[in-house]
Amino acid sequence: MTRADRTATLDWASIAVGDELPTLIIDVTATVIVAGAIATRDFMPVHHDRAYANTQGAPDIFMNILSDTAYCSRFLTDWAGPQAMVRKLAIRLGVPTFPGSTLTYTGQVVGISRSGDEGLIDVELRATNNLGDHVSGTAVVSLPIGDTGA
Amino acid sequence: MSTFADAIAALVGTPVGSGRPTVAPDPVNQPMIRHWAAAFEDDNPIYTDADFAATTRFGGVVAPPLMLQTWTMATPMITGIGERGGSPVPSDGASPLALFDDAGFVGTLASNSEFEIMRYLALGETVSASTVIESISDEKQTRLGPGYFVTWVTTYVDDTGGVVGVQRFRILKFKPGSTP
Repeated sequence: MTRADRTATLDWASIAVGDELPTLIIDVTATVIVAGAIATRDFMPVHHDRAYANTQGAPDIFMNILSDTAYCSRFLTDWAGPQAMVRKLAIRLGVPTFPGSTLTYTGQVVGISRSGDEGLIDVELRATNNLGDHVSGTAVVSLPIGDTGA
Repeated sequence: MSTFADAIAALVGTPVGSGRPTVAPDPVNQPMIRHWAAAFEDDNPIYTDADFAATTRFGGVVAPPLMLQTWTMATPMITGIGERGGSPVPSDGASPLALFDDAGFVGTLASNSEFEIMRYLALGETVSASTVIESISDEKQTRLGPGYFVTWVTTYVDDTGGVVGVQRFRILKFKPGSTP
């Protein structure tokens, strides 16, 4: 399922276990990493100062975890639409993400349930780069039932 | 048990910081949301399009849910941040993590972040955060060197004390450069 435009929201009833989320690809540059770190108010030097990162045993600056959770929420709502609400997100970090790499977000619907007037969708997601799994995790997204706002 | 092991075991269940909630320096606001949305190229209109957002279940512009942690991040003192091991503000001696730094575990790396979001925040709301250390692992050998996994739980509340989100966060405190 894909949406007509950025103001459209998926119809909960049309979503099925096994559905794949549209892949999100992030071409990671130093600018991407620094912009994300500062927008999340994370001033740890390992996320903006290469020389400092070297002193911590890292070959370059690397993406901060607040950027990872931000991209996860974008990945989920790029798919589900603006009426979607991210109820839960749980991620584990694996390999780091450095400038010059490409992050590829993939995900799949693994469960569907209903709670009152909310339709709930369980998603497993992953972001990989040239070194391996950068992020792996699970999320729960809710959609209003009966009014997609489309 | 060594003195250090006793000291870190005593940290479990204690608050991080002064023990008082950390109050966000600014209320939820459009400029910081716009900055965030631009950084992550997130064009979800509920974050920046007031007219559209008014037609949604949210009733108006809301903060990105995963921006929750950002509101209460410390306003940094840039001078000397590297010398402080990346700590945004000078230690007041009360940080429980100072115990690790003093023992040589000066490196910090996030490993897990788990959020439960009760509701989205509207413009003008002020968030406060209270953090308690939930658990500390035994010393582990990691690819970065020996270290300890420290898990804390942060409860985020609104102006009325209502819980808007809960976050479980795990970091590795490690001795850098002690492995090949």
